[in-house]
Amino acid sequence: MKHLSQERASFLLTVAGRIVPEIREMDPDGISRFFGIVDGALGGRPRKARRQFGAFLGVVRWLGLPRWGMPFERLDDDRQDRVLRWLQRCPVRVLRQGFWALRTIVFMAYYGQPEVWPSLGYEPRWDGNEALHA
Amino acid sequence: MREVKADIVIVGSGAGGGTVANELAPLCADGIRIIVFEQGPRLRDDELTGREVEMAQRLYFESGGMLTHDRSMTLAWARAYGGSTTVYTGTSMVVPGHVIEAWNVPGLRWDDVRERSKKYLEENNVHLLEERLINENNRLFVKGCTALGYRVRQFPVNVEGCRGLGLCNLGCPNGAKRGTHRVQLPAAERQGVEVVTNATVSSVTKRRCLVTVAHREIGEPSSWEPGEYRVTARVVVVAGNAVNSPVLLFRSGFGEYLPALGRGITLHPALILAAEHDHPLTNFFGFPKSYFTDEFREDGRFLLETCMYYPFTTAKNLNGFGAEHSSFMKGFRSMQQILVLALDDPADTNRVEVGRHGEPVVRYRLGRNVLDSLHASMKTAARIFFAAGARRVHVPAGTTFTIGTADAGRLDDLVPRSNVRPGGMSISSAHLMGGCRMGADEKTSVTDAWGQVHGIPWLFVADSSLFPRCSEVNPYVTVMALADRVAQRVRERFKELAS
Repeated sequence: MKHLSQERASFLLTVAGRIVPEIREMDPDGISRFFGIVDGALGGRPRKARRQFGAFLGVVRWLGLPRWGMPFERLDDDRQDRVLRWLQRCPVRVLRQGFWALRTIVFMAYYGQPEVWPSLGYEPRWDGNEALHA
Repeated sequence: MREVKADIVIVGSGAGGGTVANELAPLCADGIRIIVFEQGPRLRDDELTGREVEMAQRLYFESGGMLTHDRSMTLAWARAYGGSTTVYTGTSMVVPGHVIEAWNVPGLRWDDVRERSKKYLEENNVHLLEERLINENNRLFVKGCTALGYRVRQFPVNVEGCRGLGLCNLGCPNGAKRGTHRVQLPAAERQGVEVVTNATVSSVTKRRCLVTVAHREIGEPSSWEPGEYRVTARVVVVAGNAVNSPVLLFRSGFGEYLPALGRGITLHPALILAAEHDHPLTNFFGFPKSYFTDEFREDGRFLLETCMYYPFTTAKNLNGFGAEHSSFMKGFRSMQQILVLALDDPADTNRVEVGRHGEPVVRYRLGRNVLDSLHASMKTAARIFFAAGARRVHVPAGTTFTIGTADAGRLDDLVPRSNVRPGGMSISSAHLMGGCRMGADEKTSVTDAWGQVHGIPWLFVADSSLFPRCSEVNPYVTVMALADRVAQRVRERFKELAS
């Protein structure tokens, strides 16, 4: 990863597993593709946006501390989801938007993998019009 | 810095720049040198892979995810030989008369725009698709609208040899869309126009364009060596789009003389809505966008169109996360989608600016009217989905992730207006308009009705930034019609401007 530290990348993968449960079952090749897309996406954004993304991951990690006394990765699944749901509907717009950015990058890194598409039934075909009447 | 002399420079090769290039191309026979600078690459056919993330990175500025300043919306436009005509769906609409009337530009008449639009409908092979080529995703929209008594119209489209891949927005691998990359630019090049790709124009002061040509790993190599160029020209036509054109003029110092520069942008803020049927549909293959309804244009200020996007774009546009989101995505084959376009009014707060490092900054506030339109449109789309037979509908502002048929009659309760908040749903725009609007008054507009920048006879604008208000239809045909006028004016005045 060029644009995310090892520690942040590892944390991103933990959060990503709550956003798309299938990510927890990805094999090493899938995880490598996942981070390849994350890296490409961050690399294409302005430096400021990359810094903000890293900072937002820090917010997610420590948001539950005052209430439960531990960082995100040590919370159980239910509490992790509560943190994410709170961010999703957060009255503070900048946090809500941070969550949207996080979600977007996770969806991109998972659903952007052509290897995932068959599990959705999405298999683009060159003869689409013929397939309409197959 | 290398020096180059040209007669006419065109910045941008999309619907506006490509049209101007082709219309002026006959001048090349008289020894006039015309150069088009395009920031993006000229992709080879085998580089149009249909892979969503890869093509977004190759074709779109910031992968199609440029954020507005307040981060409430993403903006998508292409950078490539042919500009955004490489990635539109090819829906080809003539702007309605009431829109041109509302634009209220002295010297711009609807009958003129209509006649010029018709010329491009013909040139681009615009026609209605045969019924056998309509997939179920589109048919269900007709079924739902018809059941509810809503007026439905079929989109004329500009394809030729379409094989129904459904990959229009990722660059058609079959070359079936008749964008400027397939029609106007090749024709212009045959007549002697030079198209220089990978070329960024950073300023256009005093008939001098500063141009940087970059090396890219993808696409055909640019016809010019990588490096810095100073290009002198007698006429400059800026056609970069509603973000890039104002930004280029700001960077060139014209903001000082043009108080309306960058102001009054409109974006047709869009939402993608999805529903699940109880059986697999023909949805992601076959032509994706065939119908729309303008039933709510006046009362609701929104349009609904058929659409079908790819897995990542779809996932991003659904609210929520976790198992329920994942489960809905697994029903991709049974998914019906509808695109909402809100018809927004220009506001002085909505404008394009230049950031500290010369980058574009788009300030756009989702006003109450637009949020009201999006709210109403979500409920209307949900009704259409249910009337078409969907078993559950995802409404981004819903109180639950999906709404089932049992609750179809409770949409007013289940989709509260208070849930429609900026930053709380995925709102995007691919119809960027305004910023160099036409008009007679130099205080409230940037160009005259022929795209000539006020007070600068050698400088023209020819893209959607000219629109004083939104077009209320997919804008590319209107851009071509206006660009046709710009080309006419340049032709008429070229001798005078050249001296």
